[in-house]
Amino acid sequence: MNAQLHKFTQTQQSGFASYVRTGILPHLEGLTNNRVHHYRRLVFNVVNDSLQSAFPITHDLLEENDWEELIDNFFGTHACQSYQIWKMPFEFYEYVLNSKTKLEKKYPHLLDLLLFEWSEIEVYMMEDAELSHYNKRGDLLKDVILFNAEHKLLKLGYPVHLKNANEISRSDKGEFYVLLFREPETFKVRFVDLSVYFAWLIEEVKKKSQPLESILDEAEKIFPADKKTLLEKTIPFLNEMFERKFLAGFKK
Amino acid sequence: MNLLKGVPMKRRMKHVGIGFRKDFAEDFFEKEILTPAFIEAAPENWMGIGGYWKRIFERAAEQYPVYSHGLSLSIGSPDPLDWDFLKRVKEFLQRYDIKIYSEHLSYSKCDNAHLYDLLPIPFRWDAVKHISNRIKDVQNFLERKIAIEIVSYYTPVAAEMTELEFINAIVKEADCNLLLDVNNVYVNGFNHKYDTKKFIEGLPLDTVEYIHMAGHEQVEPDLIIDTHSEPIISPVYDLFEFTVNKLPKSVPVLLERDFNIPELEELQNEMITMENICRKAWSYERAVA
Ligand SMILES: [Fe+2]
Repeated sequence: MNAQLHKFTQTQQSGFASYVRTGILPHLEGLTNNRVHHYRRLVFNVVNDSLQSAFPITHDLLEENDWEELIDNFFGTHACQSYQIWKMPFEFYEYVLNSKTKLEKKYPHLLDLLLFEWSEIEVYMMEDAELSHYNKRGDLLKDVILFNAEHKLLKLGYPVHLKNANEISRSDKGEFYVLLFREPETFKVRFVDLSVYFAWLIEEVKKKSQPLESILDEAEKIFPADKKTLLEKTIPFLNEMFERKFLAGFKK
Repeated sequence: MNLLKGVPMKRRMKHVGIGFRKDFAEDFFEKEILTPAFIEAAPENWMGIGGYWKRIFERAAEQYPVYSHGLSLSIGSPDPLDWDFLKRVKEFLQRYDIKIYSEHLSYSKCDNAHLYDLLPIPFRWDAVKHISNRIKDVQNFLERKIAIEIVSYYTPVAAEMTELEFINAIVKEADCNLLLDVNNVYVNGFNHKYDTKKFIEGLPLDTVEYIHMAGHEQVEPDLIIDTHSEPIISPVYDLFEFTVNKLPKSVPVLLERDFNIPELEELQNEMITMENICRKAWSYERAVA
C-alpha cells in the first residue's frame, strides 16, 4: 500500500495526528516543541465551533465542562469518517448514542436533542429529490399520495421539539413523533408534531404506495377507531400538509 | 431561471478572484460590491447538497468562472486515497466546468480519521516519493494536472531536507502545478526565519498556476498563525509584487478570507490593490497580444 513511505515517517505522521486528537505527545523528531500545542488548539477549535453551530441548544443546555469533555472524548477516541465537515455532527450524535455516557443521567433528553438538531441540518442540506410524474391535484382517497422527499420522521422519547431544553425533565418521558420537512420554495425546514397515528400514516403511504382508502382499511385494524372516524381526522391533516407543501401531489 | 448575470464584465477584475463564502453570499449578489474575475470554492462545501445553498452556488457558478480548492484529499497522508471521494470531486469539477483543482501539500486525515486541519508533512525523501506517486494517481484519475499549495506550518517534523528541496522534488517528480500562497511563504519565512524572496526565487516558478493571498495573526513574538481572519499586511503585498514580477506568465490570484469577515468594501479594496499590482506587472502580455 505505502511501498515508498518508510515506517519511520508513518510513525512520525501518525504520532503527530494522534497528539492533535488526544493531547498525548509521543517522541517525534525535530519538533519546535513550544509550538506544537497550537495545532491541537486550532483543530479543537474547528471541531468545537462546528459542533457548537450544529447543536446550539445542546451546547446551551450542557454545562461548559460537560460539553468540552464530551467533545474531547469524541475527537480523541472516534475516527471521523466524513470528508465534509458539515456531516461530522452526525458522527458526534452516533458517538454519544453508542458511548453510554454518564451525561445521559444528568440530561435524559440529550440524545433526542442531538438527533433533533442534527435532523434539521440534514433536511436543510439534503440533496434535492425531484418527484417525477405526479399531478398537483387529485383525489385524497382514491389516488396515491406523494410527499416531498426532503423530509425526515423522528420518534423521540422527550418533547425536545415542544419544550425548552432546560425545562425538560425525566417526568416528560413519553413517545413523540416529529416530522421535519423542507419547504420546496423557501428551502426552510419546518417541523410538525405528530400523533402516532399520523406518523404511521406517513410511513405507510411512503411504503405501500397505495390509495388512502386501502391504507385506512389497514389502520382500522391497528388503531382503536373505525374507518369513518379515522377518515374524519385524516382529511383535514392531509389538507393542511398540502397547504404547507409537504404533500406534493398524487401519483400519475 | 435567474436572469441576473452579476457584475457586468467591464467592471470585473482581470486577475483577482475571491473565495466564495456562505457568510457573505447574500450580500455578494445583492450589493455587487465585489467585482472578482472568478470565485473559488471548496468542493467539500458545495458538493452533494441540495436546497438553499445549492441554489446559491449554482447562481454563483452561472455568473462567474469557478476555481476549486479542496480540503479533504489529504495528499500527504500515510492513509490510502479515498477514491469514492475523488469520484465525487471529479463529478463536481465536470458539473461546474471548473478549470483549476488545487489542494494542500499537507495531510488532514491519518489512521482513518479526518482531522479537519492541515498537518505538517515530514520533509523526507520517502515522503517525496510517496506523495508524488499519489499526485500522479490523482492527476490520472481526474484527467488533469492539479495545483498543490505550499501550506503554512508551525513546526517541522522529522525533516531531513529543506522545505524548498521538498517542494521542488515533489513538483518535479509528480509533474504537477504549484499553488503559490504568498502569505503562507511570508508566514513560514517569519516562523522559520528564512529569506522569503530567496525562497520564492528557488521555486519552480514556471509551474505556478495559481496564487493565494490572505491575512494572518501574530500570536507570539516569533510566531504567526495563518488565520485568514485579518487584512493583508503590506510586507505581504510587497512579497506579492516581487512574486508576480518573477512569474513567466500571468496567473489567477485569489483573496482568501475565512473569519472575521469585514464589510465587502474592505475586501474589494484589497482585491483592487492586488489587481493593480498584477496589471502593472503583466501589462506586457497585453502589449504582446
Ligand atoms: Fe491558501
